[in-house]
Amino acid sequence: MAVEAKRQVVLPVGGMTCASCVATVEGALQGVAGVSLVQVNLATNRASVAYDPARAGLLDFEKAVKAVGYHMPWEAALLQLTGVGEQGVPAGVVETALKPLEGIIRVTVNPGAGAVRLHYVPGLTPLVEVKRALRGLGYGVEEQLEGEAALDAEREARQADIRRQLINLAIAWPIGILVMLGTFQPYLPFLSFAPWLNSKVLLFALTTPIVVFPGRQFFVHSWNGLRHGITDMNLLYATGIGAAYGIAVVNTFWPRAGFGGEEATFYEAAALLTAFIILGRYLEAVTRGRTSEAIKKLMKLQPKRARIIENGVEREVAADEVVLGDWVLVRPGESIPVDGLVREGYSAVDESMLTGESLPVEKRAGDEVIGGTLNKTGAFKFEATKVGKDTALAQIVRLVEEAQLTKAPIQKLADQVAGHFILGVHLLALVVFLFWFFVGYARWFEPHSVLVFTPYHLMGMGVFGFALLTSVSVLIISCPCAVGLATPSAIMAGSGKGAEHGILFKGADAIEATTKLTTIIFDKTGTLTRGQPAVTDVVALGHSSEAEALRLAAVAERSSEHPLGEAIVRGAQERGLAVAEPDSFNSIPGHGVEASLSGEVILLGNRKLMAERQIDISGLLARAEALESEGKTAMFVARGGRAIGLIAVADTLKENSAAAVAELRRLGLEVVMITGDNRRTAAAIGRQVGIDRVLAEVLPEDKANEVRKLQGQGKTVAMVGDGVNDAPALAQANVGLAIGSGTDVAKETGSVILIKDDLMDVVAAIQIARATMRKVKENLAWAFGYNTLTIPFAAGILYPATAQMVSPELASFLMAISSVSVTLNTLRLRGYVPAIKKRLGRAAPAAA
Amino acid sequence: MKRRRVGLVSALIYTPLSAAAAALFLLAAPVAAGGDLMARYGGAGWVFLLSMVVTMPTITPLVKRWLKS
Repeated sequence: MAVEAKRQVVLPVGGMTCASCVATVEGALQGVAGVSLVQVNLATNRASVAYDPARAGLLDFEKAVKAVGYHMPWEAALLQLTGVGEQGVPAGVVETALKPLEGIIRVTVNPGAGAVRLHYVPGLTPLVEVKRALRGLGYGVEEQLEGEAALDAEREARQADIRRQLINLAIAWPIGILVMLGTFQPYLPFLSFAPWLNSKVLLFALTTPIVVFPGRQFFVHSWNGLRHGITDMNLLYATGIGAAYGIAVVNTFWPRAGFGGEEATFYEAAALLTAFIILGRYLEAVTRGRTSEAIKKLMKLQPKRARIIENGVEREVAADEVVLGDWVLVRPGESIPVDGLVREGYSAVDESMLTGESLPVEKRAGDEVIGGTLNKTGAFKFEATKVGKDTALAQIVRLVEEAQLTKAPIQKLADQVAGHFILGVHLLALVVFLFWFFVGYARWFEPHSVLVFTPYHLMGMGVFGFALLTSVSVLIISCPCAVGLATPSAIMAGSGKGAEHGILFKGADAIEATTKLTTIIFDKTGTLTRGQPAVTDVVALGHSSEAEALRLAAVAERSSEHPLGEAIVRGAQERGLAVAEPDSFNSIPGHGVEASLSGEVILLGNRKLMAERQIDISGLLARAEALESEGKTAMFVARGGRAIGLIAVADTLKENSAAAVAELRRLGLEVVMITGDNRRTAAAIGRQVGIDRVLAEVLPEDKANEVRKLQGQGKTVAMVGDGVNDAPALAQANVGLAIGSGTDVAKETGSVILIKDDLMDVVAAIQIARATMRKVKENLAWAFGYNTLTIPFAAGILYPATAQMVSPELASFLMAISSVSVTLNTLRLRGYVPAIKKRLGRAAPAAA
Repeated sequence: MKRRRVGLVSALIYTPLSAAAAALFLLAAPVAAGGDLMARYGGAGWVFLLSMVVTMPTITPLVKRWLKS
């Protein structure tokens, strides 16, 4: 069997306005030979395509997308070549060097000016590779930041869409209102001076440009969709507007044709329907821009320039030209260009834009710095350890972008329902037409009946006109035009909101799964606890002081490399105690240590050591047992043959562990702790942190099995761990939350990445996910519910009793309301702050 | 080429289907519309249009799948 080479690429798509456009573009790309998987996202205006590069290329994708009426706004760059001789740049040579690069679409060379303009896909060929190829030809390369090259093509396309819809609005609304005033002129006393405004020919002249110019897009898109077998929301608009306009034209020029004559011209319905849809489109375009703001802000964090030190001399270069091992100088107020390790200097760095941590973080030699963060106080030099697409910022941007391209299960369902819904509506419109034509008209038609909210009597309406009107009203009122934006816009806003707080959802499915959790498992060591022992208690006996007992214990352990010994030395130093070098040191395996200082013997160890050296510890035993019952390790200290105290060492809880567990329980989740520790220690930690259910003595390789067991009990389980040791359990859980990943975002196994090592972010992640999915459900309700409820009225269910029909303009108004509701509802998420962050009063500044 | 073939075969199925629906309407229309030609032919046109809208996206994927297999 032949094995297909697979390549995955994210491409920009311009001109999409609704869910049906997504289906059209997906269909077109899927039709290209060699393409195996396509996912198009309306909110990001991007398509993710998996393909075989031997069978398909970028130009094939562009051609397919253009064929269905859309375009690909490729990223553009303008490069200035330096070191060009008098003869200029040979265009052929440059093109030959660049064309083989996979992501290059078009190259245009201006030989005289030494300028190279190119359109490319950064995901396939980063600009730095293009520069490298050009340098390989012997030229210097400068990226021109001004002008067209520096423009963000995707943003430009979005703004062009907004501009286009604004122009359409400017045509449709003023003229539409004029048409409406003209239609209602006989009933408006303040317009009694202008009876000519009610002229049907004038109304025809005013409405025609609305249908022909702003309305043209619906006819074009619906035809393109139909040709590819796709039913389309545009089709509903086109049939609605077309039918209303068509009836009006017939009634104007052929009033006896049986459509109600001059008394039933629906110009204002066609005009207002177009105006309402355009308003919805405009609002959707604005919403798409707003909901992707988070990612744009992240991208903007990337500094353009860096100052590297070469042979002791500073040199300014483009940030993407910094290579591993370069020493980079950062001055106060400057952004850090790439990731690295501080080598010289000291400063405080604002990392809030990436981690959500509002306080500046101190950096000194040996500390890690993250590209894109802001240096606040001092100057320092650091060595670049991650550059280009490996930096934390690049990984975060990629992760958020990928997440925004994915579809939540609920969206897949909504898309399917929408596709069938539109088809169903057309079928229903056909049934309604046939019913009123063959049955309803003869039985219930009442010549004095009216259209709701209009002056029209249906007196002159024949059987065809009446049945057609009802059928068109069904089409218009049922249009779920907002469904395309309902889910992706909320997912985009939610994932962006997560990124603001250092919480990265790896996909829309992770957001949805997070809202369904019933149980949350915490790994103990390194997650609930700090993962390194610390001195928790010091007990002094007789005339000795606690400080003295701790100081002597630290002296004894000064040369030890045992983790407990290191904890005691660190504990003494943290308390400001001077820890002298012992004169001698001896480790006694399984017992403790022995050291001497100024001629006195110091012992530190367990009961066995004290018993062997015949030291009386009876005054400390009760306290030692109490401490051990709390899961702590107790060690006795003796000097000159006499016990002087007791030191307890234990792994300590992180600052927010207990509070986070309490919050999670308040959210209705069962909280479980998993650890390899013995039952007594595990139970003690469980008590401290407020967890009743403790899974103790679980080997690392068995943690995934424990997750599986809980899932077997019907629970939806999240695992919170450090992302490396707990990788199998994180992968097994319904949602794996990798905590404290720092800059190694891409390596994490979890489906949710928490950059900071703060358990409160677990709570925040759940709150953001819940808020996002709440918004999704509300949006879907607005998009579908309204229309579904009102269809029976449009179909004339009340007509036999009330002799009133829903007018096309009322139908279009009701349809537009759902669009506006979805748009406004999604925008509300922009100001959302997770309750836990609000409560803690440390909501991250909206930098990311 | 393949896409064009799918389009052509599909059109050869859904167009006659829609035309048949319109023809049926045309035959039955006098029952409700009497001699009103506008109602008869206009109605047949509307039935043809809606039938095309319903059958085009239904038939095309079926043909695509059929030709693929």
